[in-house]
Amino acid sequence: MSVTDPQPPAPDAPGDAAQEALRDRIAADSLTTRRDYLRIVATVSGGLAVGGVAVASGILHRHGDSEGAPEVKKIADRIERGESLAFRYPGEEDRAIAVRMEDGTLAGYSAVCTHLACAVLWRNDRGSEGELYCPCHEGIFDARTGEVTAGPPPRGLPKVILVEQVDGSVWAIGTARSGESALEGFCRQNGDDRPGCPGFGAGGPGLKATERSERT
Amino acid sequence: MSESTFPPDPEAPRPSTPPAGGMDPEPPRPPAYTPGSAQPRLNRPVHERYPQIRPTSGYGDPRIRHTGPGPGAGTEQEPERSSKLSARLALALTVVIGQLWGLTIVVDEWMAGDTGTAWWGTGFLVLSFLVVLGLWAIDPKDR
Repeated sequence: MSVTDPQPPAPDAPGDAAQEALRDRIAADSLTTRRDYLRIVATVSGGLAVGGVAVASGILHRHGDSEGAPEVKKIADRIERGESLAFRYPGEEDRAIAVRMEDGTLAGYSAVCTHLACAVLWRNDRGSEGELYCPCHEGIFDARTGEVTAGPPPRGLPKVILVEQVDGSVWAIGTARSGESALEGFCRQNGDDRPGCPGFGAGGPGLKATERSERT
Repeated sequence: MSESTFPPDPEAPRPSTPPAGGMDPEPPRPPAYTPGSAQPRLNRPVHERYPQIRPTSGYGDPRIRHTGPGPGAGTEQEPERSSKLSARLALALTVVIGQLWGLTIVVDEWMAGDTGTAWWGTGFLVLSFLVVLGLWAIDPKDR
């Protein structure tokens, strides 16, 4: 039998209780039993279940989530080719980026990486026609569609629906979630009775007929 | 060769002479066994007799003063119960790993706007928790 005691027990010595406690602690068969581990695992499992309920209930902020339709907001007088513009839309906490590609395509996205919420940057020098780049973990998004082309992000960037007026000014009129088209996002936020949406009469001319350019 | 070649030890106990009368000799009884030595100084503990020997029994840990199995050794009397507890723990850990995966799916689907799928995933998480709870509740007094 193994006795783990630094000194022979001295019944009358001071600190005997502390020594006894140390002896009990060291001599214990196991400080954490499998039973304890099972209880800890059950607690973690319950925490994960509660976390799932919280997520499905909407505890996480989604880009563009707000009561009612988002307001139309002018974000720039003009965006030149190859340039980008950081802005916030629709809320002050919703960081977004507008990009004008070399061929004139205008696109707007959430500037929050879907991986770990780092800032997404426009890099005109990367790829064949530039790309949206998250420097934290090398996440790369396609500038035309917002989909993931490389790196760890699990889904594409949410979109900001941009329109350009004849005078060159750029306006944000709505948002769309990851994997959602601009039209679906617009109709979801503004109701199906808008032109181009499924609920609009026999089918209107669509957004692109009334706006000079729209890219997601 | 005769015994006279080796002179007898004068201090050796001499064999008792058989009593006259022709009766069979009674073999001498050995003394009653008593552990230890007849000299009290040899019966002192080892660490008193040899204070130079550190009381470690050869282990590097100076707290270990005796060899042998540790406390609690030999107390396992129900190996089946023990292995079942290990199996329950392994199953629970596996389920929790599945929950971690499920939570990533729930977050992904909800952020993508697919709230229905997110709720289905939440149901999976809750059911998994119930499974773990059942594994725990099979025998709460188990150890």
